Amino acid sequence: MTIIKASPTPALPAPLSETSVIGWMQKNLFSSVFNGLLTIAALYIVYMVVKGMWVWGIADAVWVADSRRECFSINPDGACWAGIFAWVDNIFYGRYPREELWRVNLGILSLFIWMIPLWLPRVKAKISIGLTTVFLYPFLAGYLFSGGDKGIFMQIMLTAAIVCLAGNTIHATIGVFTGRSLPEFLSSLFGKKNVHEKTQRNIFLGIIALSFVSIYVWQMSWSLGGVSWTKWGGLFLTFVVSGIGIASALPLGIILALGRRSKLQVARVLCTSFIELFRSVPLITVLFMATTMFPLFMPEGFVLNRLVQVIIAVCLFNACYMAETVRGGLQTIPRGQFEGAHTVGLGYWQTMGLVIMPQALKHMIPNIVGNFISLLKDTTLVSIIGLFDVLNMLRAIGKDRTWLGLHIEPLVFGALLFFLLCFVMSKYSRHLEEKLSTNQNN
Amino acid sequence: MATWFGTTNLRCKKSEYQGENVVAVSDNNKEYVHIKPKEQFDFFHDKRVRSAFYQFLIAAAVAWFAWSLIGNTAQNLESRGMHTGFGFLKVAAGFDSSFKLISHEPGVGTYGRIFIIGALNTLYISALAIILSTMLGFFIGVLRLSSNWLVSKVALAYVEIFRNTPILIQIIFWYIGVFSLLPRVKNSIDLSFGTGNLLLNNRGFYIPWPIPGDLLWLSGVAIIIAVIAVVILRRWAQNRQDKTGQIFPTFIVSAALLIFLPGIVYFMTGMPLDWDIPKLEGFNFVGGASLPPSFMALLFALTIYHASYTAEMVRAGILSVDKGQDEAARSIGLRKKWAMSLVVIPQAMPAIIPPMISNWMSTIKNSSLAIAIGYPDMVSLFMQTSLNQAGYAVELVGMTMAFYMFVSLTISWLLNIYNKRVQLVER
Repeated sequence: MTIIKASPTPALPAPLSETSVIGWMQKNLFSSVFNGLLTIAALYIVYMVVKGMWVWGIADAVWVADSRRECFSINPDGACWAGIFAWVDNIFYGRYPREELWRVNLGILSLFIWMIPLWLPRVKAKISIGLTTVFLYPFLAGYLFSGGDKGIFMQIMLTAAIVCLAGNTIHATIGVFTGRSLPEFLSSLFGKKNVHEKTQRNIFLGIIALSFVSIYVWQMSWSLGGVSWTKWGGLFLTFVVSGIGIASALPLGIILALGRRSKLQVARVLCTSFIELFRSVPLITVLFMATTMFPLFMPEGFVLNRLVQVIIAVCLFNACYMAETVRGGLQTIPRGQFEGAHTVGLGYWQTMGLVIMPQALKHMIPNIVGNFISLLKDTTLVSIIGLFDVLNMLRAIGKDRTWLGLHIEPLVFGALLFFLLCFVMSKYSRHLEEKLSTNQNN
Repeated sequence: MATWFGTTNLRCKKSEYQGENVVAVSDNNKEYVHIKPKEQFDFFHDKRVRSAFYQFLIAAAVAWFAWSLIGNTAQNLESRGMHTGFGFLKVAAGFDSSFKLISHEPGVGTYGRIFIIGALNTLYISALAIILSTMLGFFIGVLRLSSNWLVSKVALAYVEIFRNTPILIQIIFWYIGVFSLLPRVKNSIDLSFGTGNLLLNNRGFYIPWPIPGDLLWLSGVAIIIAVIAVVILRRWAQNRQDKTGQIFPTFIVSAALLIFLPGIVYFMTGMPLDWDIPKLEGFNFVGGASLPPSFMALLFALTIYHASYTAEMVRAGILSVDKGQDEAARSIGLRKKWAMSLVVIPQAMPAIIPPMISNWMSTIKNSSLAIAIGYPDMVSLFMQTSLNQAGYAVELVGMTMAFYMFVSLTISWLLNIYNKRVQLVER
């Protein structure tokens, strides 16, 4: 008997479960009697839920009507989406003056234009794009949203923001087509490609100064009407609060986390107690504290409006949660990295900024996005304090005279809205995590 | 000699060095001496000076900030004519709580009592929600890992839907969309199949309430005895298994002990337990115990929301155990059930417990959203109603936050103890 055969054994056919639907079903759904019963039970539940939602939400639903009464007369069993459509402006913008809505839209659009380059692979200098988004965009958006008289500071910042937005956009367009940055492109345009770096920089700065001056002069010619913050509302307000929260939570959180890990005793004790204080109480108590106690903390005659109070509370609260995330990320960095940085002569801030943070942030991305998601969800709490955010707007539909008692549909709509936002964010963070982890293995 | 060598002694040739700070002559070679480097104290570049200076700066800034806050607050309180101090806790509160575990009469009971009612209400609903959500979460987490494709996808849908929707919307939905739309008192839904014991209507959930009789304590004693017996039995069975390898059916025997011993005592003492059953009198039910719709809505929302988090933790914990552990357990002949419960789950627990406890903490914190639907918990009773009635903003807000901090810190203290124990077991 020979063990070694002259001809290779023919390959077996692929297992049934990999080739046919029935085989797959047998393997994954009906592998045993118990599993089969489980599948049937699950199928029944899915069928009931989907059917119920389909009939209520789509098949029997009323899409066009003028009032809830009319909805009832058309079909009393289905959802009355007509109420949502009638209130859609309120849900998204609150009571923002209708003729000024373009300002909100423009503000949101400019944010997109500002941030899209961050996702384009050929664009360079993404860190400075990100930084300008955090530090300059708020002035542009703030003025667009609230309007009113421009102070001298506001004029300067607004001009800087506009110059930056234009520069960013041109830079990104050039980057996409040529793969070069704006300064490089400009110097090659003027034929100064081979001159000294300083000359190139001076040309670039000159162009910036020129555009700054011209835009400054241009923006003096117009101003926008003031819109009080009490008119802000709906999803717009939710985005304002959570956006400021997101933008400030990370830097504040990094500072707090560094403080908590610091060798300075005083800083460590202070940061630790601050973090633990805010993490051990519910957000709603912090919001209450902001609205009842902040007015007492302020010097006499200095009044913060409620929106600012709420935003401060949200920022502090989320900074503490972010601090713990950052601390977790810092702990994943091996000691050798700190020691290596010290050995090459870097000081504390250089070590942190150039060596530790870039690595730690990469580890933290999923958790940071998770924090952002919970921040977005938590922003609905401001409705309890009496701000007309998206949830309060949705609840106001049921109190409106024509749509009296329409409660469930708005809530379902709101849940759907948040689900979409949060789900997309969490899927994106999963994608990012996978992308970064493969990079690491290479 | 540079200072940065610290206290390390240097070795130098005797002939080359005539300094003062020689520590000793080298042992093996008399040619050399050990010298201590001269420490140069440079005030502006010394690490300790700098650290002390920064700390002083931080402390001074914080102290100044706190001082100005306190000053402002005192001034504002004075100019608004607001009173301070905790004397109000002994003043009678003129309002009632719609749900309470201890008695309270408006106009008689004090604010101190209101504080206790609020604390108990918060702890009560959080405890129930924690127990239920943990059970549901484990169940969903196991379904999520099922080999059945459909079942695991249904569990995934559950987790994604409830995790990605704000808890506040869920609470309001359960309250407005479910528990307020229940039939009126007259058409109550009977959940006990026609016996009228468990009744659900838009005023709440009515359940019978036990009235203990004279000899009920004997049954209680029997339960305690049964529990002790079970503990002893388990030890004995474990010892026997270690020695002889024989497995004793511990589970069935201890279950029988726990059920029959108290049961027999209960029947022998003549069933000394009456039930106060809710009865319809006029327009409402009388007797029994009732849970208001806001309680039910909050309980449902908290349970379902936090169960979705627990499910993910259970799944992640079980998946964090190396696959080889399960395979090794199976290869030495353990059945799937035993491999899971003796090998995989014990190793998964250290990964599951810490996030689960922080999930419990956030359950307690999220129960404060009761304020949106009017369940009288700590925040809504003490921080809102009392604040509107009595003022004393600083004290009320401070006490409420202190309560939550106390609860959270207690739990995290227990968590630390657990973590230490787990680490000791590992190494």
